[in-house]
Amino acid sequence: MISFVEILIRGVMLGSVYALVGMGLTLVWGVVGIVNIAHGEFVMLGAYFAFWAFALLNLNPLLSVLFAIPLFFLFGGLVHRGLTERLVKAPELSALILTFGMSILIWNLAQFFWTNTFRSVPYLTGSFPFMGFVFGKSKTVSFGLAVGITAALFLFLKYSKWGKGIRATSQNSEVALVCGIDTIKMRMVTYGMGIALAGAAGAIISLQWVIFPQMGGAYISKAFAIVVLGGLGNIQGALAGGLIIGALEAVVTQYLSAKMAQIIPSLTILVILLLRPTGLFRK
Amino acid sequence: MAFLISVPFFATDYWITLLVLVLVFAVYSSGWNVFSGLTGYTNFGLAWSIGLSGYVSSLLIADYGVFWPLAWPLGALATSIVSIGVGYILLRIKGVYFAISMVALTEGTRELLGTEYLSPITHGGEGVPFVAGIKLPGLYWAILLVAFLTFLIAYKMTSSEFGLRLLSIREDEQAAETLGIHTTRDKITAFFISAFLVGLAGSIHFTYQNYIDPSFAFSIHLTLTPIVMTLFGGVGTVFGPFLGAALFTFIHEVLWAELTLLYMAAFGALLIVLILFFPQGLLGWMKEKGILPRTRKI
Repeated sequence: MISFVEILIRGVMLGSVYALVGMGLTLVWGVVGIVNIAHGEFVMLGAYFAFWAFALLNLNPLLSVLFAIPLFFLFGGLVHRGLTERLVKAPELSALILTFGMSILIWNLAQFFWTNTFRSVPYLTGSFPFMGFVFGKSKTVSFGLAVGITAALFLFLKYSKWGKGIRATSQNSEVALVCGIDTIKMRMVTYGMGIALAGAAGAIISLQWVIFPQMGGAYISKAFAIVVLGGLGNIQGALAGGLIIGALEAVVTQYLSAKMAQIIPSLTILVILLLRPTGLFRK
Repeated sequence: MAFLISVPFFATDYWITLLVLVLVFAVYSSGWNVFSGLTGYTNFGLAWSIGLSGYVSSLLIADYGVFWPLAWPLGALATSIVSIGVGYILLRIKGVYFAISMVALTEGTRELLGTEYLSPITHGGEGVPFVAGIKLPGLYWAILLVAFLTFLIAYKMTSSEFGLRLLSIREDEQAAETLGIHTTRDKITAFFISAFLVGLAGSIHFTYQNYIDPSFAFSIHLTLTPIVMTLFGGVGTVFGPFLGAALFTFIHEVLWAELTLLYMAAFGALLIVLILFFPQGLLGWMKEKGILPRTRKI
């Protein structure tokens, strides 16, 4: 018999990874002003990165997570400079359609090159007992990595020069510009960071779940729910939101069914937008 | 028009089928356009209206033996009436959030209709195969009629004062409200009309397919394709969606034939190029260049 506490813990571990994805999305949305519908696809790319590194180079997946960060950061920066920066001042529909197009392009290219065969990274299997509960090894390590990355993110945003620049740009980009902050560069850095978070999350996910080209779809739904829950641009809110969504998913899956759990992101979005559109947490 | 009516008499089944699909999507596009193109509220949940109407009419035909000329309008009516309620609640949400909430609604409804709890009515995830007693030429004429109706409604809406009010909502909703325009009422009305037209076409679409299931009925494809078609032709114009539907289907056939495996990827790339360099669509571009008069009537 599984206790409720165990389900909650499971949910929090699940949610920590969702939080990474959500924080990346909300960061980009809040600072750059772009809704990155392709965010889920970058998660997928991160997972494939870990897979191919493991399959071809025998690279320890944990290291993949680490390497994913600078790699996807650069990748994201390029993508931003080439595509999304052009639409910062354009109406929202344009950004939506652009990132929609990017999303389709990316997962179809993935499908073309890597086929629909399910992949996985069987690195950490098995479980271990701790304090009366049983924990899966890969889930625990994933949780640890997620916590580590989150902590690094918060420290970066709070104390580093670029972090302050990013926060300034998100608060008021024109004033930031006047203060001498290179807002274009800040946006590029932010987008890169968002993608880096997605890629790292993907690499972490590769430890636990199957990898296939369309996997991004599930993550973008949850990411939207997280962003709406936490409040747009609110990173701490996204962290909390991720944990909440993870917990909800674990609880509903256990007591109702996995299929019913699929409704959670949609329901969350609708409920929050109707009752408390600015999100559960004040900035 | 006479030409279009006479098509089933001389064309092959392949062409009639193609035209049926073009017309269905033309109505989807125009239906999307009369709401989103004019009010500026990007409706990313078109599939919701389509799927809902499709389900109501298909279930009426399949399980309750309702004759199709009755089932289709009933389906469309059902979805448009629900849209009034949904619109009243969701249309107070602006911009991107509205788009997201419509996607959430679509996904949620799809999952809901697929669950075990509702299957006695909806047949759950396995779908509903059915036969409606109408042959291909009949379907063609039906959708042709609906498309013609849609065109007339789109023309009337866009060039009327109602259309002007909607456009003002797109440009600056606050200013419009200050001028005394009932933005909520107008938005809901446009949403209702959009849902009805799209629902009619949807019912015909699923009858043509003789099958409906949640994953296709509410798929993002049904939302995205009309939007792209309208983008092609020109958002907010009358002819734009129709032109876009025709153009797009042609390009689609070519892409599919030449690049079968990569066709979706090419589609995504096309979207990117379109939005970066031709956001106004073909008609918008022509109006800007002066090739076409800059009137709302086109």
